[in-house]
Amino acid sequence: MPRIARERDRVLRRSARVTGVTASVTSLAYLAVPGGPGAPVTLLVGALLVLILGCQYVLGQSGALRWVLCIIVLGNAAILVVGSNHRVDVGLTGVEEALIGSLAAGAISCVAPVLVVGPQRQLVLFGAFGVTVASVALVTMSAGASVLPLALTVCGWAALSLGGWWMAQSVPRVLQRVAAIGRAHHAERHASELEAQRRQGARLLHDTVLATLTLLAHSGVGVSPAALRQQSGDDAHLLRQLRLGALPTPSRSGVYTLEPANTSMLGSTLESVKQRFGRMGLEVDWHGSGQVLLPADVLDSFLLALGECLENVRRHSGVTRADVTISDDDTTVRAMVTDAGKGFNLSAVSTERLGFAESVVARLRDVGGTARLFSSPGSGTTVVLEVPK
Amino acid sequence: MSAGTAQTPASAPRPNPSSARAHKQLLDEQRDERRRTFRRPQRTVNTTRANRTGLGSRHLGLGISLSGGFFALFLLWRFAVQWDRYPNPLPTLAAWIVLLVATVATLIVVNRLADRMPTWMFLTVLAIGEIVVGLDLAGYGRGDAVDTYPTAAAAVGAFFAILVSVRRGREIVAATLVLGAVIAAGSLTAARDNPQVLVPAILTISLCVFPPLLGVSIVRGFRRMVQRELDLVLVQSTISQPSSAVGMLASEELARIDLDAETLLDDVATGRTALPLSPAKSAAAATLATQLRLHLIEGRRETWLHHALTESEFLGPAVNLDDPAGLAGELSPTQRDALLLAIWLLISDTDGAEPTVSLVFGPLGRTGGHSIGEMLRFPIKMIIEGVPRRRVDPETWQAIRVVGPHIDSVRSGQLHVDIECSIDNPADA
Repeated sequence: MPRIARERDRVLRRSARVTGVTASVTSLAYLAVPGGPGAPVTLLVGALLVLILGCQYVLGQSGALRWVLCIIVLGNAAILVVGSNHRVDVGLTGVEEALIGSLAAGAISCVAPVLVVGPQRQLVLFGAFGVTVASVALVTMSAGASVLPLALTVCGWAALSLGGWWMAQSVPRVLQRVAAIGRAHHAERHASELEAQRRQGARLLHDTVLATLTLLAHSGVGVSPAALRQQSGDDAHLLRQLRLGALPTPSRSGVYTLEPANTSMLGSTLESVKQRFGRMGLEVDWHGSGQVLLPADVLDSFLLALGECLENVRRHSGVTRADVTISDDDTTVRAMVTDAGKGFNLSAVSTERLGFAESVVARLRDVGGTARLFSSPGSGTTVVLEVPK
Repeated sequence: MSAGTAQTPASAPRPNPSSARAHKQLLDEQRDERRRTFRRPQRTVNTTRANRTGLGSRHLGLGISLSGGFFALFLLWRFAVQWDRYPNPLPTLAAWIVLLVATVATLIVVNRLADRMPTWMFLTVLAIGEIVVGLDLAGYGRGDAVDTYPTAAAAVGAFFAILVSVRRGREIVAATLVLGAVIAAGSLTAARDNPQVLVPAILTISLCVFPPLLGVSIVRGFRRMVQRELDLVLVQSTISQPSSAVGMLASEELARIDLDAETLLDDVATGRTALPLSPAKSAAAATLATQLRLHLIEGRRETWLHHALTESEFLGPAVNLDDPAGLAGELSPTQRDALLLAIWLLISDTDGAEPTVSLVFGPLGRTGGHSIGEMLRFPIKMIIEGVPRRRVDPETWQAIRVVGPHIDSVRSGQLHVDIECSIDNPADA
C-alpha cells in the first residue's frame, strides 16, 4: 500500500531531522567553549554547521537524496577542516575530538534513517558510513589523537541505522493493526445501522409511546390514573422488548402487529387506535370500509396522522366523541375525522401551534399524502387525510 | 453540521483585509466549536479499546532501546579504557552491573505489560537509575583522576529510553533532565579549574540526555500518525453506507431516548412516580416526546459524508460541508473512498498549519431530456485554505481524478478545485 510507505517515510525523515538538528546544535555549542579551534576555523565550521542545519531541516520535509548528499559532503568537509588545522605540538584538543565525534556520530549520521529502505538508498548508506569513518580515521590518525571520535562515530551510525531500520518495520506493522480495527469497526457500523433501522421501523410502537408521553407531559390530566398506568405499563413493556432485540408484538391489545410486512390490512389496526383512545376517554366511532390494503410505510404514516388528529380532538375540542369515516377509491384512501366540539378560528390559531404541521402534514407528505383542516368557532372541526394506495 | 457556512470567496475576488480576517476568524471559531463538541460513538470507543494492545508503540520502543544501547556500549568501552585511572573502579563496576541487570529486567517487564507501566514500577526504575548514578559518581571520585568521566551514569539515559513506549513523554523528559542536571553537577565541579575537561563533560551529558529525548520525540510523532490513521479507517467504513443513513451517534441517541422513555413509563406503571405528574416530571416527558419525534424522522437525510465528518476527530473541525440535496450520497463507493482520502491527505499533510476545506455539492445539472443509461452530472467545488498548490501531494490529485475530471485554480490565496462528477442515474437502477 503506497500510503503505508508514505507514512513510514514521513516518520523516518522526521526522526532524521530531529536527530540531526539536535546534534548540529550541540556541535555549535562546542565551538563556543574555550580551548577549541582557532577563530578562522571556528567561523568556517560554524558557517558549515549552519548550512548543515538548513539541509537537515529540508531533509525532514522532503526526504530527497540530494539533501542527504549535501549533509554528507558538508559534514565531512567540517571534520576535515577541524582535523587539519590543529596545532602541531598539541595534537587534537579534547574540544576538537568531541566536535569531530558529534559531527560524525550525530550531525552526519542523521541521514541514516532515511537511507534504510530500498537497495539503492542502502548502498548510499554504506557509502556515507564509509566516507565518514574514513575522514574521521584520517584526521585522528594524522594528529595522533585517541580513538574516541572513531568509536563514537561507529556507535552513532550503528544506533541510527538500526533505529531507522526498526522504525521502518514498526510502521507497516502498526498500520496493519489499524486496518484490522477498521474492519472490526465496519461491522460495528453495520450493526449500528441495523439497530437504528429496527428502532425507526417500529413506528407503531413509537406512536403509542409518543401518545402516552404526550399525556404525561400534560401531567396526565383528564385521564384516569389507572388507565394511564395501564397504558404506561404496556408501552414500557414494548420498549423493553425492543431494547432486548425482539420485534415486539403487543400481546395485550393483540390487534396490531409490528412484524415487518409489505402490506397490511387497515381495518385490524384501526381497532387498536380506537382502544387506545377509549382508555383515555375519547369514544371513536368508525364508519365505512376498514378492509383496505396499504403498503406498510403508508399505513404507518396514515395511522400516526390519524392518531395525532384524535389526540387533538381529545385535548382541545371539549367533547368525548369523535367520528372517523374511512373511504377509498382506485387511487386514494381518505379518512375524515369529525368532532362536534368547540372548534376554533383557523386564522387565529396557527396550525404550527397545534403541532399539526409537524406531526400530521409532514408525516403524510413523506408518503405522498395530504391533510386539510376545516373549523370555525362553535361548529366543530373536520380534518381530511388522504394517502395514495 | 455546517450547511451553508461554506462561503464562496469566488464572488469577491479581492476581499479587503478586514473581511478576510473576519472570514478567517469565523473559520477558526467553527473549528474550535466542533473540536470542543467532538464525541466518538460508544461503539467506536469500544472497538478501539478492545484492539488497543499492539497499537501502542511497543515494537518501536524496543527499537529505540536497542538504538540507545549502542550509546551505552560506547560508554562501556570508555569505562574499560579509563579503568586504570580510577582511584577505585569498584563502585563504577558495581554501577554497570546493576545497570545491566536492571536493563534486562526492565526490557522483559516492558514487553509483558499490556498497556502502561504502573507508577510504582516507573518510580522503581527511576530509583534504580539514581542508584547507578550515585555509585558511578562515587567511583569517579572528586575529580582528582584526570581524564575520567561518568560512564554508567550517562548510560542511565539509554536505560530511561526503554520506557518511552510505556509512560508519558513528559515524565520521561522530566526524569532525563533531572538526570542530566545531576551528572552536570557531578562532572562540572571537577571542571572548575580546568576548562579542557568541560567539553568531554558536555559530550557525556549529551550522550546521556539525547537517547531518551529523541526517543520521546520519535514516539510522539509515531503515536500522532497512528491516531490519524485510526481516525481515517474508523470513518472509512461510511463509504459502503446506503445513500443516506442514520449515523452511529444518532442511532445511539435514539436508543438512549427509548431507554429513558421506558424508564419513565415503567416508573408511572409501577407507581414509583405518582399521578398526576409533578411539573418537573411532566416537563421531562414533554422533552422526551419532542426528542423522540425528532429522532424518528432525523438522520435519514444525512449522507455518509456527513457521518464521516462528524465522527472524525481530524476531518470534522477542518471541513465545511454544503450539500443541501444530499448529492454525496449518490457517489459510488470508489468515488467516496477517493473523496475521503483526498480530503484527508489535504488536511493531514501539513506541519503546524491548520488548513480548511470547504465542499459545495451541486446543483444537479439540467441536461435536457433524460434518456436511459445517461449519467447524471453535478459539480463538487472544493475550496482549500492553508495548503499552497505546490504542497498538494500527487496522490491527492490522483484521488481527486477518481472522483471525476477536475480543474484547479488559485484565487486570492485559496486553492479552488472544481470536480465534474458523473454518477449512474438512480432512476435507471
